Amino acid sequence: MKINLEELRIQFSGKEILKGVTLEFPAGKFTGLIGPNGSGKSTMLKCIYRILQPDRGAIYIDGKALEEYSVRETARKQAVLAQHNYYNFDFEVLDVVLMGRSPYKRPMEADDEEDYAIARECLAVVGMSAFAHSSFALLSGGEQQRIMLARALAQKTECLILDEPTNHLDIKYQLQLLNIVKSRKLTVVAALHDLNIAAAYCDMLVAMKNGSIVKIGTPQEVLTREFIHEMYEVESEIIRRSDGRILIVYE
Amino acid sequence: MQEKIKKYKIKYIIVFLAAFLLIAMFCGLKLGFIKVDWLMMASALLVKLGLLPVETVNADIIDVILQLRLPRILLAACVGMGLTMSGIIMQAVVKNPLADPYILGVSSGASLGATSAIFLGLGYFFGAQAIGVCAFVGAFAVSLLVTFIADFSSSKAANNNLLLSGMAVSAVCSSISSLIAYFGSSKEGMEAITYWLMGNVANARIENVIILFGIIIFLFWYFLTQTRILNLMLVGRDAAMTLGVDLRHYIKRYLLLNGLLVGFIVFNAGAIGFIGLIIPHVVRLLFGANHKKLFPVAVLFGGCIAVVMDILSRTIIFGIDIPLGVIFALLGAPCFIYLLLKQNYRPGVN
Repeated sequence: MKINLEELRIQFSGKEILKGVTLEFPAGKFTGLIGPNGSGKSTMLKCIYRILQPDRGAIYIDGKALEEYSVRETARKQAVLAQHNYYNFDFEVLDVVLMGRSPYKRPMEADDEEDYAIARECLAVVGMSAFAHSSFALLSGGEQQRIMLARALAQKTECLILDEPTNHLDIKYQLQLLNIVKSRKLTVVAALHDLNIAAAYCDMLVAMKNGSIVKIGTPQEVLTREFIHEMYEVESEIIRRSDGRILIVYE
Repeated sequence: MQEKIKKYKIKYIIVFLAAFLLIAMFCGLKLGFIKVDWLMMASALLVKLGLLPVETVNADIIDVILQLRLPRILLAACVGMGLTMSGIIMQAVVKNPLADPYILGVSSGASLGATSAIFLGLGYFFGAQAIGVCAFVGAFAVSLLVTFIADFSSSKAANNNLLLSGMAVSAVCSSISSLIAYFGSSKEGMEAITYWLMGNVANARIENVIILFGIIIFLFWYFLTQTRILNLMLVGRDAAMTLGVDLRHYIKRYLLLNGLLVGFIVFNAGAIGFIGLIIPHVVRLLFGANHKKLFPVAVLFGGCIAVVMDILSRTIIFGIDIPLGVIFALLGAPCFIYLLLKQNYRPGVN
């Protein structure tokens, strides 16, 4: 699934958050959005997944304008894993995953065998099958976020949007979550904070600052000493490993 | 496999509760100030159905059972079911465990209507039903107004806006009621309003109760088909959007249906508190927050509890009829506190 943004603008109480962003997220690639706090990454994603309405500009999914899709249709095209909040509801884990089948259901329609099969399969993908009948509220933060990923996968979409999904998670869970996502070979658009993680998982990086795109390219192209200084005002050293991956060490 | 077993278990519980509700209602017809034995009761019912000649049973007994007890017991069941239904819906819509059927100012709208009827003679052409009719109009008008206000607020915290506008409208209605009562300053009027605000099922009229019963059956069926949406309300508006459901339409529709339901309950039985707050929580404690199970179980359970409470209210102290709202709070609240302390309760809303 291909997403195009055209001259996207949005402002909140007079402050312009996105200043005319034009961009293409290629199909089948893992694209990372990086940039300091307040750079507009999350706002841009929220426009794509329809929580926010851009003031001007347009979003196209597979060449068709976003408004021409119903909410149900977009939920069949793109699933969202947002920042982790601690959820307090006493649902069975399997029931939470089954919510991912909502875009395929009329309100009056009950979940059928196929929905259960898909939900179980997605639970297996995130390695949480044993917890199918546990209470969601009793899981740890990392486990809850894996269930939310299973819910997103149960939507059976071509595209997965990750809106800073690993904030507040231990490094073990961060890597676990992104490994699962990476293994699914979907079109992924992810806002990420950690540059090393972005470098390790992304095929392409989009760097944003103050509501504009400042650089696009592979992690090796984007993450240079000079650029990191320009973006974040910190000194760093880039270490190239023999396998081509880069590591960023902050001074 | 396991899903199937769970489904059956829930079915058994629902069948059990429905059977219990019917049995309790039959007991309710029998028990009370005037003693009636089972044989007499059965023959009275048969006479009414035209299966026995009229002379076989004392006409007074037939009156007691069919004119006094039947509407009252049916109303108690309706009130229990209806207020529980409304409590579940409101707790989901405003995502707040403290919500109850009256949270959005419905009861203050109703009491403004009732006060106007008692002190200002509003709606006098409805005769004896004037208070109820005015209360219904007040309740429904307030829920329309609150829905309208919340619809206009585009802010992200729409749930809070709903609550706050409900409270604001509620405050206005209460002040006007107080003002009317203050200038009216008649002792009988104050007594009437107090009695009415406590809520009771003693003055049930069968023709009104049957309409309420129809509404309750319809809404019960309707919301059984909406359990997926109710669940999505707990995950929140943004998450629901990414799952393909725009909750705004549903919220508006639910609020209107709730206004109608609660307005009609208030018309029949006054403002009975507490049932709609507590029953959903009790059932959530036992069955979790998933509305697929919670909704049918809680609504039937609410009906059972209300009927049992009604029987207690007329038998616990011989010859005295305690208002349903009062006895429910007196007996129900301690049980609820006990459950709260005993279990690690997560109401399912943040």
